[in-house]
Amino acid sequence: MAVMAQATGSARPSLLRAAFAVVGRGLKINLRYSTWFLPYLVWPVVAPFGYVFTSRALSGPNNEALQSFARLSGTTDFTMFVIIGTTFWFWFNMMLWDLGGSFRLEQMRGTIESNFLAPVPKAFMALGAFVQSALFGTTTVCLSCLTVYLVWGLRFTGSVLGLVVVVLASIPSIYGVGLIFGSLVLLAKEVNALIFFVRGVMTIFCGAAYPVAALPGWMQAVSRVLPLTYSIDGVRVIAAGGNLGDVLPHLRFLGISGVLLLVLGFASFEVIRLHLLKTGTLGQY
Amino acid sequence: MELDQVRKVFPRRDPQTRRQSELVAVDDVSFDIARGEIFGLLGPNGAGKTTTIKIISTLLRPTSGTVRVASIDVTKRPTEALRHLGTVLTGERSVYWKLTGRENLEYFAALYGIPARLARQRIDSLLERFSLGARADERVERYSTGMRQRICLAKALLAEPQILILDEPTAGLDPQAARNMRELIQEIKGEGRTVLLTTHYMEEADQLCDRVAIIDRGKIIVLDSPGRLKGLLKDRQVINLELGNWEQPWQAELVAVGASSVDVHFDDAARLYRLSLHLNGKLSMGETVTRLIDLGAQLQNFTLSSPSLEDVFIHLTGKSLRE
Repeated sequence: MAVMAQATGSARPSLLRAAFAVVGRGLKINLRYSTWFLPYLVWPVVAPFGYVFTSRALSGPNNEALQSFARLSGTTDFTMFVIIGTTFWFWFNMMLWDLGGSFRLEQMRGTIESNFLAPVPKAFMALGAFVQSALFGTTTVCLSCLTVYLVWGLRFTGSVLGLVVVVLASIPSIYGVGLIFGSLVLLAKEVNALIFFVRGVMTIFCGAAYPVAALPGWMQAVSRVLPLTYSIDGVRVIAAGGNLGDVLPHLRFLGISGVLLLVLGFASFEVIRLHLLKTGTLGQY
Repeated sequence: MELDQVRKVFPRRDPQTRRQSELVAVDDVSFDIARGEIFGLLGPNGAGKTTTIKIISTLLRPTSGTVRVASIDVTKRPTEALRHLGTVLTGERSVYWKLTGRENLEYFAALYGIPARLARQRIDSLLERFSLGARADERVERYSTGMRQRICLAKALLAEPQILILDEPTAGLDPQAARNMRELIQEIKGEGRTVLLTTHYMEEADQLCDRVAIIDRGKIIVLDSPGRLKGLLKDRQVINLELGNWEQPWQAELVAVGASSVDVHFDDAARLYRLSLHLNGKLSMGETVTRLIDLGAQLQNFTLSSPSLEDVFIHLTGKSLRE
């Protein structure tokens, strides 16, 4: 069939349509690895074990140490305390591997240059990766909560609206960090060491498994500038019976940091992209 | 397409001395390509062909110089320039192996902004044209190398670009698949598209290209039609010999008695040394054969041929495309 070789080029491409094409492609590929979902069901259940049973052992035969814990954390329900923290930590960790690794995966597959040949602003890759990772991560965390309920028998008795608001408010900052991280991975051509470093920092400073108040003063100061600290604490406040008014300071911090981190994330991607075009290392891994 | 004094320099650090230096990958390359032309960039591995292609297709920023595609500066307005370009890069991993052929084309159609209904029509048409219709809904990981190359070509044609860039389009293909690919390229030219292709197969450049630029070490050495390039050697015969043995000092000996260039390589399959000698009129075929026998060569066979593009390359650079 003859094809007219007119000087038509293509229709004007849409950044949003390209980004959602990235999401659709990513979901199709993920679903073709049949065991992809297993870690997301197992890990949220397994991760708290060490902390919970250590806490039980240290709490004393009459749980007298729980009072000390309550003075620092505001609650004696250390199981819920730990599970909220480790679930958020797990979500953050998954985002690092998912979003952080997605650009590198494109390099390793050999498809990053094909994507860059499309006549659409290259931010579509960052936007698509952000949307895909946020959708995927949030869904699997919800599934993880279900398995936590089934295995640990925990029920969230706080305000569901408050929980949803805190989780949604956390998304921009978590994924803004992810975009910065993913861009750095494009530059560094290595993801494992970077993930271990970033994850390690978050594990120590964000109070996933212990109250931030238990940290030395200078470490508490670092915790106070990390968005994940506010996400974890916000959900704990809601779980303990708090309402939206009780987490307004958390939401304010998450809102401002989220906007800043997302802007920084997209800016990092663009700066590093231009650097890779100059050095010719876009497709190298 | 117009390239004007395009230059690309990469900084390098010597791993042993740790001293900084520069690698000039593309050195003041200039050429124009007319609408509807197949233009070949011919040269050995490492000559700068892929670097030039990547600069044109906006995957690499030049150090200096300008590239215009459909009168659009690719450095200043890359997104707009890409609307006129379809590019097939080297290798078969520029599509997603876990997606089917059809899904790959649907994905890239979305990136190119092709409306969904039109995309479906074009995808069906391209899949039939490239004999992929029956396996369109199988994952690319199950395709042969030739099929993967065809799906990459289909992807490049999705947006019906004016200009098609093909980087080593037949690399890695078996002879039949390579021949099929060349026929497709000629069909594409017949549609009025402009094609820029890179290759290190001189017979491919000879067969397909209206004009060929021979590039080596980042520089264009010569640019003209294949016929005129071969005409540079019209007074020179090329004698091809098959020898059972070869000694390195014989090369200098042959040059000393009048051969303008000597290219020798060992054919593993046939267990023979293949020698190509360019005779410049000072040395006849008979004298050449006699001299080699006197030197102790075990002559198996010899033929005379007209100069090829590779002979032109050897004449101009002193080495073969295989080096």
